Amino acid sequence: MKLKRNFVAATMLAGTMAALSFMSAGAAQAQGALVMYCGVQEEWCRAMTTAFERETGIKVSMTRKSAGEVFAQIKAEAANPRADIWWGGTGDPHMQAAEEGLTLEYKSPKMGELQDWAVRQWEQSKNRTVGIYSGALGFGYNTELAKSNNIGEPKCWADLLKAELKDEVQVADPNSSGTAYTLLATIVQLMGEDKGFEYLKALHKNINQYTKSGAAPAKAMALGETTAGIAFMHDIVTMVVDKAPVKVVAPCEGTGYEIGSMSIIKGAKNLENAQKFYDWALTADAQKIGAEAKSYQVPSNKSTPVPPQAPKLSDIKLITFDFAKYGSSEERKRLLSKWDNEVKNLPK
Amino acid sequence: MNQATSISTLARPTAFKKPAASVEFRNVTKRYGAVTAVDSVSFTIPPGQLVTLLGPSGCGKTTTLRMIAGLEMASSGQILIGGRDVTNLSAADRDVSMVFQSYALFPHMSVLENVAYGPSVQGVPKKDAYGMAMEKLELIGLKGLEKRAPSELSGGQQQRVAVARALVLEPQVLLFDEPLSNLDAKLRRRVREDIRELQQSLNLTVAYVTHDQEEALAVSDHIIVMSNARIAQTGAPRELYEEPANLFVADFIGDANIISGELVSVAGPTAQVRIGNVSLQLPHRGASQGAVKLAVRPDAILLDEGTASTGALAGAVRKASYLGTQVEYDVESSIGDLFVVQFGRKEPVAPGTPVAISFVTNRGVAIIPDA
Amino acid sequence: MSRATLGLIVLGWVGFALLPWYGFDRNASLEFSDYVIGGSALAHGLRGAWWLLPVLAPLLMALRPVIFPSSSNGTWLAASGFVGLALIILEGFSIGLNGWTLDALKSFVSDPGPSQTGVGYGAALTSASFLIILCHGLAARGWCRGDAFVTSSIGVVIALIVVFVFFPVSTILASAFADNSGNFAPSEFIVKFLDRSIWGLDCLWGDLRCGVAWNTLFLGLLVGVGTTALGLAFALIATRTDFRFKKVLRVMSVLPIITPPFVIGLALILIFGRSGALSAVLWEWFGVPRSRWIYGLPGVFIAQLLAFTPIAFLVLIGVVQGISPTLEEASQTLRAKSWTTFWTVTLPLMRPGLANAFLLGFVESLADFGNPLVLGGNYEVLSTKIFFAVVGAQQDQGRAAVLSIILLAFTLGAFWLQHAWLGKKVYTTVTGKGDAGIPLPLPRRVALASYFTAVPWAVFTLGVYAIILVGAFVRSMGRDYTLTLEHFLTAFRVESTGAGLYFSGSAWDSFFATMKVAALSAPLTAAIGLLTAYLLTRQRFSGQRAFEFGTLLSFAIPGTVVGVSYILAFNVPPIEITGTGFILVMCFVFRNMPVGVRSGIATLSQIDKSLDEASLTLGARSATTMRRVVLPLLRPAIVASLVYSFVRAMTAVSAVIFLVTAEYNMATTYIVGRVEAGEFGLAIAYSTVLIVVMLFAIVAIQLAVGERRLGRRSASAAPSPVAVQAIP
Ligand SMILES: Nc1ncnc2c1ncn2[C@@H]1O[C@H](COP(=O)(O)OP(=O)(O)O)[C@@H](O)[C@H]1O
Ligand SMILES: [Mg+2]
Repeated sequence: MKLKRNFVAATMLAGTMAALSFMSAGAAQAQGALVMYCGVQEEWCRAMTTAFERETGIKVSMTRKSAGEVFAQIKAEAANPRADIWWGGTGDPHMQAAEEGLTLEYKSPKMGELQDWAVRQWEQSKNRTVGIYSGALGFGYNTELAKSNNIGEPKCWADLLKAELKDEVQVADPNSSGTAYTLLATIVQLMGEDKGFEYLKALHKNINQYTKSGAAPAKAMALGETTAGIAFMHDIVTMVVDKAPVKVVAPCEGTGYEIGSMSIIKGAKNLENAQKFYDWALTADAQKIGAEAKSYQVPSNKSTPVPPQAPKLSDIKLITFDFAKYGSSEERKRLLSKWDNEVKNLPK
Repeated sequence: MNQATSISTLARPTAFKKPAASVEFRNVTKRYGAVTAVDSVSFTIPPGQLVTLLGPSGCGKTTTLRMIAGLEMASSGQILIGGRDVTNLSAADRDVSMVFQSYALFPHMSVLENVAYGPSVQGVPKKDAYGMAMEKLELIGLKGLEKRAPSELSGGQQQRVAVARALVLEPQVLLFDEPLSNLDAKLRRRVREDIRELQQSLNLTVAYVTHDQEEALAVSDHIIVMSNARIAQTGAPRELYEEPANLFVADFIGDANIISGELVSVAGPTAQVRIGNVSLQLPHRGASQGAVKLAVRPDAILLDEGTASTGALAGAVRKASYLGTQVEYDVESSIGDLFVVQFGRKEPVAPGTPVAISFVTNRGVAIIPDA
Repeated sequence: MSRATLGLIVLGWVGFALLPWYGFDRNASLEFSDYVIGGSALAHGLRGAWWLLPVLAPLLMALRPVIFPSSSNGTWLAASGFVGLALIILEGFSIGLNGWTLDALKSFVSDPGPSQTGVGYGAALTSASFLIILCHGLAARGWCRGDAFVTSSIGVVIALIVVFVFFPVSTILASAFADNSGNFAPSEFIVKFLDRSIWGLDCLWGDLRCGVAWNTLFLGLLVGVGTTALGLAFALIATRTDFRFKKVLRVMSVLPIITPPFVIGLALILIFGRSGALSAVLWEWFGVPRSRWIYGLPGVFIAQLLAFTPIAFLVLIGVVQGISPTLEEASQTLRAKSWTTFWTVTLPLMRPGLANAFLLGFVESLADFGNPLVLGGNYEVLSTKIFFAVVGAQQDQGRAAVLSIILLAFTLGAFWLQHAWLGKKVYTTVTGKGDAGIPLPLPRRVALASYFTAVPWAVFTLGVYAIILVGAFVRSMGRDYTLTLEHFLTAFRVESTGAGLYFSGSAWDSFFATMKVAALSAPLTAAIGLLTAYLLTRQRFSGQRAFEFGTLLSFAIPGTVVGVSYILAFNVPPIEITGTGFILVMCFVFRNMPVGVRSGIATLSQIDKSLDEASLTLGARSATTMRRVVLPLLRPAIVASLVYSFVRAMTAVSAVIFLVTAEYNMATTYIVGRVEAGEFGLAIAYSTVLIVVMLFAIVAIQLAVGERRLGRRSASAAPSPVAVQAIP
């Protein structure tokens, strides 16, 4: 009885101690000299972190989240920011954060080494965000299913409207996914708004599911759940590299692209280190890491070797994507609600 | 804030015998929202006495009892136990034990564990607690059953376990809430005698709730009759029976014929009351001249065969029931129908027979003052 | 003055004069003196933080009853506690990181004002002491039958719920009434609220879809009914039959809750998907064409049924056990057939269990996010809508808040209906009168029905888990069935180096953090949940219903919203705890507490109140009564809430997405990351490890808590099981 009581007391004491150690854990966490929110695949994030630590000796606390999540978090934390730098993730939320003044202006000495599209985005965002990689939009198809369904080899956006592909195309819902919004903006820029919406309405008949996440169609293709899927080409390439029976297509009419970006967060507690990371992340050496971590986007530093698996930008007809216009929240809201009303609610 | 002292006394329950304590209510009221369950009630239970709270269902007996225990808090008023104000004290801090109507035996404990629960939560070592429990179980005649689960006992046995459990701390006050209601008629009589004996031999203060007036008359030193959240009358059993303070008590305790009469004159403590053509000398009990109501117990009415002479009323037997030790009659008379019980007459009066009705004034006939 | 009260007053002083009042600056290096006295409120106050000094007044007030005991002690204590709390709250909320927080104050005083950081141990201790002193004072004035334990419990639970539920949730719900730049705009709310995508009924008369609110409601009702029915079938088989594989069935029935989200969905796709195993078999053998039926309502329904049946089971098993056999016997002696008895006595007595199981299933379905995400197809529900309103392309927090309000309204409705249905009837079946009845065997019809629902379901569950197990050990599920341990090695490699073991696998960090958080939050959740249930069923106090609903609030709101609201509320002083493990623990405690509360209420409403009262009159205080009488009778509820909260802490996703940090990364965010990257094998392998860990945890919890002894007579003539150990 006595013993038992002591035991209970001891457990409670231990529990309290553990709880207390928890409360102060934040202190230890921020001793790390750079807090980073990372918006790409875990593996790439980790590789970047380790490489930077090795190079500079600055300890990095990295948390991986999707771009939308990081943006929501930074917005919520605005009163007392926790992170210093936001690296990776599709450009839209970076642009939006810039628009809302959540990120800082910075001009890196490495700007000269960058591709035009990266510099353009930097200028459009009033120096608040910079491109670190880009990936073109495209689609893919499951070769086995395509054969058994006699679909042939789709090559163009127009091919996705074929009657044989009824209920066989998958794409994300632009309301939830940046990828799908890129598609919406691409089609509008490529075909003009009216024609573009005609196209999307026609496509709607062939869509089996508007997924929530942008990369989901790529996975569904790999699993054989859908014949064709629209996604960023590098996401489909990941499946191909994983030996899925999937083929990537760069649409013949031309296509849009995303720019993966990087921003320094306003109110960063470790501003100097954030800038150090910013400069480093724009070097060819740092950008090489992506391919090593099985991410096949196109790097923004001109001298970074493009990975062999990556879809060759030279083979892709890229449109001139107006990030300023289509990234602004007004245009975005307008297009999304138009899509909601005119396309999504259409009967099949 | 004298919790600390009460704990220290409780911690040594066997060390000395505590004197029984009194219980006092001063204008205690208990409200549940709009319902007033107990309405400005005051009474005192003297130490070492068994006092019964008697009344029809819903009149506030249980609520009163639970306020003594500390299971309900008074909405207003003051409660004292042993002279100490316990109004705001929690149940655990009052030296009061209770035997519940449902017994409330802990189903996950054996009989012994149940009885030893009180001392063991007070910090008495397990061995001593079991010793105390065994002592009480023996007292109550349940030795040998201590290892059983409560479900393996008969109703009467369970009831006695509940009593043993309440006794084990030798509380200043012991409370019973309709303890006999789950027992059969024979057992009921035995158990109530056991309880009375226990109370007297241990000199306990007991508050006892029942709705059964016979049970109340049998066990109590004092009875508190409650009606509609208020006290109707308090007194010794005989007082209540013979001198009911109001119609309610007259009717609730025992059977009574309520008769109208007229108070003619008051002389000293007695009054002259006329009922029909009969005139009686009765204690006036504060009534003044004019119409009065009288409570007449069925055995205070005498019937004589034959026509009425002076000092008697005329009537006729309508129905007679022979019940062994007594005969019960329904009698028609000029003052209304009467219910009459006669003891010791072997030969019942046949229905239809005219009778002369007279009253035994020295017991069982009383003016009801508040009527 | 009780010793406990005295101790509290001392603690109040310690918190004020000795411990550091503020949390530490995260980048500073600390000296010993920062921990003691140097950083205390007293020291700060004397060094210029004048706003801390008024707290001295209530601290001194609390001393009066110590020095001059009198009958007005209670009033003094209550006043001291109240004033102290009020001062600390006032001071904490009006001075922030960057000076005055209220614009009115700013313009009034005109300079930006002093600044302070979040509270630390000292402030926490002093506020807690004030709170409990207040409660002790109220008890001394006769509140709650003068029971200081009860008043303090109520005070503490209410304070916790206010701080960790109402405060954050109200910060975000307020944004429902604001436009994008944060100004008050009620018309915006109306527009968003009445949107056709929410309330449209087009599916009834066209081939368009219905509004997301109807979808959610419909799914919730289906899942609530389904899980309750299945849970009941499992519970009846487990308690009332001699089914041979009872044990297996029990394990099967709890497996799904220990499964990380996405995994069930994934497994279902691998079985029923267009290229799934079953579809392939059906196509090749019977020519049934492959289809995508699993995407949409059917898939989500099946997945949620799988995921939430265990909760219903856990709630119901305690209730079924607790039904008094005598009542059933009574019915039988009244010539009722066993079927009639079941229908008219047993089932109605289970009402509290059924109602609570339904409520949990319904609310869980409403808040579930993982399954609709994976399997929803074009069937949209509120939770995913809300998630993407926050993190999707629209970035519309106001919309998320509006949708959350709708979700809350549904919960409130369900809660109200449950109350109405249970009414004021009495469901007490565990009374203090020994129950001499013997549990009836199930009527044939019921037994058969139970078998026919539960057994196929168990087999199906088995199938799902077989797929998961296989998935962990093959290269790539659905494509490449080469056996491999590669996934496990990637995640859980351990290298032995000269300096000992080195956990180099990529999953270890998140694994350890998750274990730590789960192990801490489970007992806390169970304790607070059951305490709350006890207060709700056994005590009467005003505002009880609101209090009860408050406990459901954080459960009913989707995790994403809770996550964002926690950041909004706890990233700035006075309570600045983002980035710590503590915030994760608190988030889990208050998200999972409702299960403890519900199963506690269901079980407690069966236990006769006079058992507690008997214990009280025998001199046991409420705390002792709780420990010696209530808890032993509550064992099934304890198991349910411990298991559930432990498991939930290991498998929840959406709430923690915003709360994880580099240091406290959680297993599920890791798994979701893997799923997003298409590395299903790794995700499944990690999940398998988690499942095994949780299985062990459940067994351990079951062993530690033990079975409830109700001392019921058993059908066999064996002597009472209790008798053996009655005397030491
Ligand atoms: N918890 C309660 N809430 C509301 N009314 C109550 C409560 N307890 C008792 N009452 C009411 O108080 C009155 C007295 O009840 P009680 O003391 O139990 O009567 P009894 O004399 O039969 O024991 C009854 O009218 C009852 O309905
Ligand atoms: Mg009663």
